[in-house]
Parts: sequence; C-alpha cells; structure tokens
Amino acid sequence: MVKRQTAILRRARPAPPFWEIHLALEQPPEPGAYVLADLGGPLREPLFPSEIDSAGFVAAVPPGHPALRLLPGAEIDVIGPLGRGFRLNPDGHPLARLLLVAQVGFVPFLQPLFQAAPAVALVVEATTRAQLPAPTRFPPTLELTLVTLDGSAGYLGPLEAEGAVPSGLERAGPRLRELIAWTERACFAFELDRYPALAQCVSEVRIQPQADLAQALVRVPMPCGVGACDACRVATQRGERQACVDGPVFDLLAFRRE
Amino acid sequence: MVELAPRHKYGLTLTVPVMPASGTFGYGDAYQDLVDVALLGAVVTNPVSLRSRRTAQGRRIGVRGDAFVVHTGWPNPGLNRVIRTYSETWERLPIPVIVHLLASRPEEVAQTAARLSGVAGVAGIELGFPATISVRDARATVEAAANEGDLPVIAKIPFGRVERLAPILAAHGADALTLTAPPRAVLPVRDERAGAVARFMRGRLYGAALFPLLLDTLSYWARRLPVPVIACGGIASPEDALACLTLGAAAVQIDALLWREPALLDTVARALVQPQKPDSVLAESSTEQPGMEDEE
Repeated sequence: MVKRQTAILRRARPAPPFWEIHLALEQPPEPGAYVLADLGGPLREPLFPSEIDSAGFVAAVPPGHPALRLLPGAEIDVIGPLGRGFRLNPDGHPLARLLLVAQVGFVPFLQPLFQAAPAVALVVEATTRAQLPAPTRFPPTLELTLVTLDGSAGYLGPLEAEGAVPSGLERAGPRLRELIAWTERACFAFELDRYPALAQCVSEVRIQPQADLAQALVRVPMPCGVGACDACRVATQRGERQACVDGPVFDLLAFRRE
Repeated sequence: MVELAPRHKYGLTLTVPVMPASGTFGYGDAYQDLVDVALLGAVVTNPVSLRSRRTAQGRRIGVRGDAFVVHTGWPNPGLNRVIRTYSETWERLPIPVIVHLLASRPEEVAQTAARLSGVAGVAGIELGFPATISVRDARATVEAAANEGDLPVIAKIPFGRVERLAPILAAHGADALTLTAPPRAVLPVRDERAGAVARFMRGRLYGAALFPLLLDTLSYWARRLPVPVIACGGIASPEDALACLTLGAAAVQIDALLWREPALLDTVARALVQPQKPDSVLAESSTEQPGMEDEE
C-alpha cells in the first residue's frame, strides 16, 4: 500500500562531496527503496536512505539540491516508501558475508548495508585518487578495496576490465572476482550502462548463481513512483521493467547481454 | 452528468467532468492507493499501439524552471497484451475507461478500434496523433476508428494544429475533441562532466504555464466546434478547471502535474460536483466568450 507521509527536516550538514539531510519520518524506506518528496519543484524528488534509524532516515544529496533550501523544522510531503530495495535474506537466514560494490558517487546508496553482516567488503571505484573518500569515513570492520581508473590509488579499474597493465599496478578485475567468489550476496550501485559487464563478471565466477545473489540499484528519473508514467523503464533480459515499482533494485543478472 | 458523445449511439456519459490525461495515470490501477478513482468521471489509459513499442533511448526527463519535458517513446506491450493484463481492472473500475490509441495508420487504428469494441469496461477511444500528421491522414484515422469500432471516438488534437484539424475531425467522425496534446519542446542536455551542452532532448512539455495557452485556445474554439471539447494542459487547481468549463469545455483532463500532486484529481473532482460560485469576472458576461476582456 502506497501512502503519503509528512517528513520533518531535522538538519542538514555537509559530508563532502554530499550534504546529508536528516528527516524524521514514521515509516522510512528500506535500503535501496525510496520516497518521493515534494520539494517545491515541478516534479517530486526521490530520496534514498544512507542511514536509517527508528526516528527516520538520512539522505545524501548533492550540493544545490532543492532540499537544501529548506530550514530545519520544515514539513515535507512525501509519497512512499516506494519500490523494491535490496533483498539480503529473503529466506530468513542471517547473512554472514556481504559484498558491496559502487562507483564513488553512489556509495551513499549502499551505506545502510555497511553493517548488515558480520563480514562486509566494500569496493569503491573512482576516476582518480582525489575523488576517493578517506578510509577513516568507513567503519573499521569494513574490508575496503579502492579502485581508480587512472591507477593513482588502489587497484586499476574499471572493475570489469581485463588484460595487461603497466608494472607496479594491479587490475581490479581479479580482486572483484575473488570477492564475488566467496560472498553470499553482492550489492552493486553503478550507472546503468555498467551493469551488463558486471553481470558478466558474476556469471563467470559463480556457476548457476541463485536469484538475487547479485543485486543492482538502478538510478533513473522516477517522476510518478507508481508505474504510471513509463519514464523509468529499463531493458532487462525479461523485457522492459519499471524501475519505480519493479526496482529500483534488480537482480544484476537480469542485465546480462544475450 | 456530462455527455461527451451526444451524437454517438451509446454515448459517453460522465458523472463528473474530470479525468487524467493519457500518459499520466497508467492503465487504471497505478494510483489506486493515492487517488479515489470513484470520484473521477473517467480514466484515460496510457497510449496503446497495435504492436508493442519499446521505450525511447536517451534522456527521458528534463526540467527547466517550473516546466518539464518528457520523452518516453510511448512504450507499451501492444493492444492484445494490454487487454489481457488490464481488462479485469477496467471491468472492476466504477467509472468508464477511455483507451488512448496511438494513431499510426488508419488500417491499424481500424483493427484496434474493432478489437476494443467488445472489451468490458471500455467506454471510449481517444486517438493521439503525431504532431505533424497531415489533415488527410488524421481524417482517415478518425473515420477508420468511427467506422470499424462501436465506441465513441475522441480526437486529441496536437498542440498548434487546432485550426487545421479540429473542425475537420469534428465533421468526420470524432464524437469529442481533446484540446490539446502537450506541445513538443526541446531542452539542452548538459554534460555534467564536461560542463557544457552536449546534446538536446525533445519531448512533451508539461507545466502550469501551459494553462493560459489552453484558455486562449478554448476561448476561441470551445463554442465554435460542433462537438464537446475536453480541456487539457496545465490545469493545476479547481479554479483552473472551472475556468475551462466556463469557457465552454465539457470536461477537463489533468496532465502530468498530477505526478507531483496525485490528490489534484480528487480535489478538482470534488470541487466540480459541488455547486459552484463562479469567479465574478467569469460570471459577469453572458456573451459567447464569458468574461473575456478585449484583445490587446
């Protein structure tokens, strides 16, 4: 049942390169799910949780986001929670090992999962070293792997690439495959066009992987949130799906190339 | 009660002159938790084509100020699958369903109109045309829908084509006209990494700023056309809807503005079923165009 709620903006604080807005909300979205907030523009804005607690949730938004024009105490009309988020233990068994893989700008979408299992590994890919977040920003229990596209820090990306590399550098692909081999669940947050190659990585490492072994968060505009407008359709192996209601988290393998 | 198809053998009667515009409300049940459908006069479905259509590539949404451009390519699974999936929903709805058909070629529209004639719950067809359709093709399409199907036919006139198309389609089979489809618009798309305009997106323009353009169209055409007119474009409040009815529209369609405020449909519907006290400016005149002041 889709419902309307009133969120109250508690505070906003910088968390470079984002701002974190704290919202009090009776029923916050699960990790990977979202609410649509009326922030004064012609369309509602999706807000995804980067932290969730009993009083509400925190959303990471870019500088200039319309939520940052509001003052603490402002009431925000939201629709939701909406969509299907990450499905970590649908059979009820606690998860022991979890792998999170994200482009640097998408890390906040996976942040609510940082402590979702006793062993969590996080792979962050950035263009260059300056974009990488400081390792001190992550919980010490997190097994962190850094990847840069120019090789300036960590492994050499992109994650799905293979082949020879200059001496002194190490490809990220084998490291990702190693992590995929042992994980119980893997959650990805990337631009949509990266998913076919990442799905290929998973299907090469795991033989007959179970459904939802690897899950992918899809970030596309979702103006209506209820499957009415068709603006958020994405192509999957099972035909086109609406990210706003069928996702925004999909089985990564649905994006495999035929 | 409003009769949208007084010339048609079955007619198309609405208890309330309010409905969502095509492409904004899904196929009838998407907003079931947020909108009380029973309050509305009808539901207009998302566009349906004879064969399935895939979604458009590239940018789908662009925002500029209070307006936005949408480009979806009208994806849909094709007529037969839409009927299989939604006919039970349509039958269950307490209000008439108007299926919006993408008017591609007259032969295809004839097939789709004939196929829809026996579907329970479907009470009418709305035809959507390409923005540049010729008068001859539009007329042939409307005639095909009217002759091959049993349902009342509403023609949704492309923006800026009212003068060329509306009188002719009203004279050749359209039981009602929707004025108008959203204008086509182009927005520059910025490449965030390069910090410059990389390409452009073209699509349907929505926003409250369309409303004065709608009133301009209605003020001239609503009482000059021989069939009922449905007003569509930027209606954002009960007062807007009432202004359209005052200028001669028989009913109103709420367009993509309902994505921000789904309750707009309920609010307008409730306001229009209650006795109205029209705005004094609109009520002053009893001329052909009520309340219309002199042109500059």
